[in-house]
Parts: sequence; structure tokens; C-alpha cells
Amino acid sequence: MKDAVGVIYTSKDEFSMRELSSKRSVTAIPIAARYRVVDFLLSNMVNSGIRKVGVLVQGNYHSLMDHLGSGKAWNLHTRNNGLFLLPSRGSEGSENSFGLLDALKANMDYLRRSRQEYALIVGGRIVYNARYDDMIRQHEETGADVTVMYTRFDPMNADFSASSPESRAFVTVNAQGQVTDMEINPNVITCPNMLMDVVLIKRTQLMHLADIAAAHGYHDLYTHILRGAVENKTMKIMGYEYTGYWKRMETINSYYNFNMDLLNKDVRRELFGVNPVFTKTRDDAPTKYLPGADVKNSLVADGCEIEGHVENSVLFRGVHVAKGAKIKGAIIMQDCSIGEDAELENVILDKDVTILKGGRMIGPKHYPIVLGKNVTV
Amino acid sequence: MRSKRVIAMLLAGGQGSRLGLLTRVMAKPAVPFGGRYRIIDFPLSNCSNSGIDTVGVLTQYQPLELNSYIGSGASWDLDLNGGGVYVLPPYVQGSEGRWYSGTANAIYQNLSFIEQYDPEYVLILSGDHIYKMDYSAMLDAHIEKNANITIAVRPVPWAEAPSFGIMNTDSESRILEFEEKPKQPKSNLASMGVYIFTFSQLKKYLTEDNADPNSKNDFGKNIIPKMLSDGKRLYAYAFEGYWKDVGTISSLWEAHMDLLKNPPEVDLNDRRWPVYAKSPIMPPHYIGPEGRVENSMITEGCEIYGSVSGSVLSAGVIVEEGAVVEDSAVMPGCVIKKGARVKRAIIAEQTVIGEGCQVGEDEGDIALVGQDTRLPAGYKVPAGAQVNNETIQEGK
Repeated sequence: MKDAVGVIYTSKDEFSMRELSSKRSVTAIPIAARYRVVDFLLSNMVNSGIRKVGVLVQGNYHSLMDHLGSGKAWNLHTRNNGLFLLPSRGSEGSENSFGLLDALKANMDYLRRSRQEYALIVGGRIVYNARYDDMIRQHEETGADVTVMYTRFDPMNADFSASSPESRAFVTVNAQGQVTDMEINPNVITCPNMLMDVVLIKRTQLMHLADIAAAHGYHDLYTHILRGAVENKTMKIMGYEYTGYWKRMETINSYYNFNMDLLNKDVRRELFGVNPVFTKTRDDAPTKYLPGADVKNSLVADGCEIEGHVENSVLFRGVHVAKGAKIKGAIIMQDCSIGEDAELENVILDKDVTILKGGRMIGPKHYPIVLGKNVTV
Repeated sequence: MRSKRVIAMLLAGGQGSRLGLLTRVMAKPAVPFGGRYRIIDFPLSNCSNSGIDTVGVLTQYQPLELNSYIGSGASWDLDLNGGGVYVLPPYVQGSEGRWYSGTANAIYQNLSFIEQYDPEYVLILSGDHIYKMDYSAMLDAHIEKNANITIAVRPVPWAEAPSFGIMNTDSESRILEFEEKPKQPKSNLASMGVYIFTFSQLKKYLTEDNADPNSKNDFGKNIIPKMLSDGKRLYAYAFEGYWKDVGTISSLWEAHMDLLKNPPEVDLNDRRWPVYAKSPIMPPHYIGPEGRVENSMITEGCEIYGSVSGSVLSAGVIVEEGAVVEDSAVMPGCVIKKGARVKRAIIAEQTVIGEGCQVGEDEGDIALVGQDTRLPAGYKVPAGAQVNNETIQEGK
């Protein structure tokens, strides 16, 4: 099997995730008590033997840069390969027309200087745990020009935003595994499979496509290249099926539901039990449960101190829950402090939020309240 | 190589035989502690936090676990250019090779390692204590007193003084007398086994000691008394913080219970003085719908469906429905099966406590289940007993 160079494509700032993505890209949003979306993607790559990964960053990427550092946490700090941050200005032309192909064109040197046979382009919005090496193996066996990862689409799992800046693509795959139809952002979905935003292609071929795209004013890989290639049969595009758990982070509800899914043992096993997920460590001490703590059905990171009542919740690192506090159905990010006798239900607290003694905040079940960073209530 | 002002040498070769089955397959410094640490994380983190970037770790007994744990030293930020953490086992010089015959001999055999860095001072540490200490403050005191050796001491209860190496000092902290386990102590300042030597003096005394066939090659028994009788400048440096020798099953258990006090005797969550550890790369822990956790410490990878109180659980411990863990320390990767009860016990790594087992009792000594043990369903381990797969098979 020949090796691949990885490319992770992160989104621009957007509004579908409200306060959570106002200061960071979706790829950098904290999830699952101590991870970020990007941790899953980087771990997928590292677990598949990929040694060189570039992250195409746009807009507000400080949060992502801060998290990724040298790439050490993912063992991506080797001499010749490793982790590369690839910024692109994204201000040429109108904001909306700046797509993956433009970002690739702006970072052509990264592709040119790589020695790997393939390029694996991964979107920064879907959380899942997969091995790409199986996909590369299938790509070689089938002699495909392009292999795309797909999963059978379950409308129950979809919580799509009307305003997502990226294309959602759906495909039909025939018995031989070849993609025979592709639809992008359809109002009514007719294809049975959703693409997982994973595209495998020969590196030199990708460079060639990025050049053509620039010459023709194309921006989006799916809309402007792949869909046409499926229709006109100009490339052999194969599908690789992913059957495990996934969640596309697009709205507050999908974010909330993903975190709540982790309270399910099977979901935890699928996401963490097979291939390890790496992230930056913070050297927090183990979580301390004080006398009077009452915690049920919750996922808790290290460094917390809990004296109160917590149920059906996800607690990130360094959260304090004081005596008499009642927390239910909440996602509480790192270093938040919940005061005595405070009551929280169906809320998402971003980092460093303080709820003072006796504070009360009850969100509706299907529209959780979101509090931005550093707020005191 | 550029010269260093100070480097540290950590004595990690001891067998720790008083820890019984716990140290059957690993050296004492590699023993897990406090949920996500191993004992050696404390001196290594102290070095890192004190700005000491070069540490030699002297190993001899069961070094495998320790070697793989230390790795590149990256977990303690000790993987820097020109510095780092080096594992130093005994080696053959010319036709002659020998085991480390004592603490002083271990350092003597590695003089050439130390000389590579041309240090002015050498910090000697041992790998069997739980404490957070700023060695740089001790070094400042050493320099200020123009000492040849500075020995870290801490006050112990007078009643316990006869079981320690006791320093008698003058008002300037100069050591006038050193008594190993005195019957009638004149002071309660006990040596912590942490020394700073001016390197030229260390080299001179180690070389002389090596030439003396009657010497036990030990710092406490030979080197320090010799320096004292030669009229050298020996100073005591008083350390006031938490310090716990974890050399026995009961003291290791007590040190875990100290972590659960509120506030804890040693704060592991102090951002200004972090205690580093190698990450086990596991997801956050999960407390089940019927789980109950109180007055305990829980870390990554644990899944608690039963009841845990007064206990410290390490990474990846599973407590099944109906199982009860009380006043115990459970090391990484253990499974406590349905209906089992663990009370006042230490459970070593990767052990499975079968359904309905009873380990330890409400009173009496601490029970110990050794590493990788599969305790058959319904098995009873009385207070103070130590069991592993072999003892179970022998029917003891």
C-alpha cells in the first residue's frame, strides 16, 4: 500500500452553531469532555499510518492553532513530515466563493513538496472513528481515480443547517461500489448515502485539478469537479462504506445530541474503544468527588471537583460543581464554576463560565441555552 | 557539550521489597500512585518545575516498566536539546562489570555521565517519596551557605525520630552531627534522602569511598559521616511541605487516603506546580445511571456502575453493577466484577476481582492483590493478606 498525505479542510466562521463558533471554527469546537472535532480526524489519520497532515485554516484560526501546537500530541512532530498549518487569505473575490479548491491552490507548495503517492482530503465537520488505510487499500484494488467515503444515510441522524457554507453531498453506489449519481445540497434527498467528506486521490492529480479549477473559476471540489465527473464518467469514482457512528456538527442541536450520545456505552465503544483518540493533555489531577456528590449517567473529564448533583451531563476539564447545585442535561466546558444551589438544565456553557450561587437557568428540551465564553451569571 | 550548573541523579534501583507483591515485577518508582501518576512522576515533575533539565535515572531492579514509562522524557518536558532524562543501568567497563553495590556506588559508576555536563552541583534524589519540592530554592541555600553538601530535612514527630537518619544542627543550619536511627534523638530533623553536592566534593568522596574495601558504598552510612569527620561544610535545608515515604503497603495506602482529605495534604491540581504524568490516552470517565461516587478520585477511562467511596481509582478501572469499593486504591486497568466488595485494599494493575469476591476487611491491615491476578468468583482475601495468581493456585 502506498502512503498518503493528509489534508484537513476547516470551515470559515459561521452562525449555525451560534456562540460556540463565533470565535473558532467548527473543527476547533470542544466536544466529548476534553476533545475537539479535529482530534478525531487527526487520530484517524495517525492510526492509519499517515505521517504528514496539513490543516487548511481560514478566518479565526487562533483557537485551532493554540490547540494543535507542534502536533506532538498526535505524534506529528517528526523530522520530515508532521503537522502543517496552511492558512489562506480567503479574501480574494467574494467570501462565499472561496472554497476548498481555492485553499488548495493557495497552498500548492504543500502538495508539491510532499512525496506521498496519494492525498486524502478530509472535511473538518464530521466526528467519527475510522481507519483510512482500509480505504487506501480498496482504492488500489479497484484501480479508482477517486475514492469517496460514504455512509448509509439515516434521516434521524441528520440535523442540517439551512445556512451551512459547505456542500453536503449524497451519492448512489452500484453493486461494484462505483458512484453512479451525486447530488449536492438537495432539498429532497434521493440518493441513499451521505458522503463523509473524505476524498482519496492521487496527489499529482489533485494538483492538476486545483490548477484547472483556478483557470475556470471553480471553487468547490464536489460541485465543480466530482459531480461533473460522475455525470460525464470522466473519472472512475468509487465509494468506500463507513458503517460506524458519526455526527455532522452543523447546528447547536447536532452538537448537543452528539455529546448526549456519548452517554451511550455502544457509542463510546465505537468512538474510543477500537482506535485511540489523541488530544493535547493538560495534566489535570483526577476528578475529585467530595462527600455529598451525586453523579449519574454522566461523562466527566479530569480536574473537576464535584460536590453537587449531576445527571445526564458532560463535564469538561476543571469544572467545579458546588454543594447543592443541580445539573441536568448540561454540557459544561472547561474551567466553568457552578455555584452553590445553582440549577441548570438543558444548557451548554462555553469555557470559563461562572454561575453564581443560586443561579437558575432552564433551557427548553429541544433548544438548549448557550452561554458564550467567560460569562458570569 | 555545554556545561550545566546543576544536574539531577535519581536513584531508582531499589527493589522495594517491603511492598511485597506490588514490586514483584516492577521497581518501586514505577508503582502507580494517585490515579494517574507513578511514584517517579513526583521527583521528575519537581525537577522539571525547578528548572532542572537533565536527569539521570539509575535503574537496576526490574527496569523494564520504568524504561518504557520514562521513554523520551517528553511527559515531563524533559526532552529538550542538550538536556533530557537518561536511564542508566549498570554496565560493563572494559572486562569488568558490576551491579550497583550501594547508593554511592551507583553514582560513582556514572561519574563519566555526570562529567559530560561539567556541572557545578549535583542533586541526588530517591524515587520513593511523594512530595512537591522546589529544588532550586534548596540550591540557592546551598550556594548561599557555600556548602559542600546540603541535605534536605524535615521535622518528624519526636516519637518517630529514632527510626530516621537524624541531623543535629546549629542555629545556622550547619550539621554538627549525623545519627542513623538514634535511640535518644537530640533533634527531630530527619533526612529526606535529597542531597545537593558541590560536584568537585562529590567526585572526591566517591572516588575515595570506592577505594575503601570496607565501605558499604552508601551515602547515609559512609559518605556523609566521612565528610562530617573531615570537617566539611554540611548544611541542612528544612522542607516544610507534605512528604510521604511510600515504601510499605500501609504507607502507600495512607498516602492515597491523604489525597482524599479536604483540602488535600498535597494538591495535585496546582497549575503553578503541575505534577506531570504520561497520559494513558483514554476517554473521560463515565458514571453509570446507578453509579455512586463519593469522597473519591476518578480518572480517565474509568466506568463506574457500582459504588465507590473513600477510594482512588486509576485509569481504565471498571466497577460493575452492585460492586462496592471502599477506602481502597485501585491501579490501572482493573475490573471489579458484579457484587464484589473491596475494602481497605490495594489492587495492583490489570487485575480482575471476580463476582462476589471479598477483598480486605473493615479493620486490620491492608489487603493486597498483585498484578494481573484473576481472582475467582467468591474468593475471600482477608485483611493484611497478599495474593496473586500463584498463591491462589497453591491454595494458600
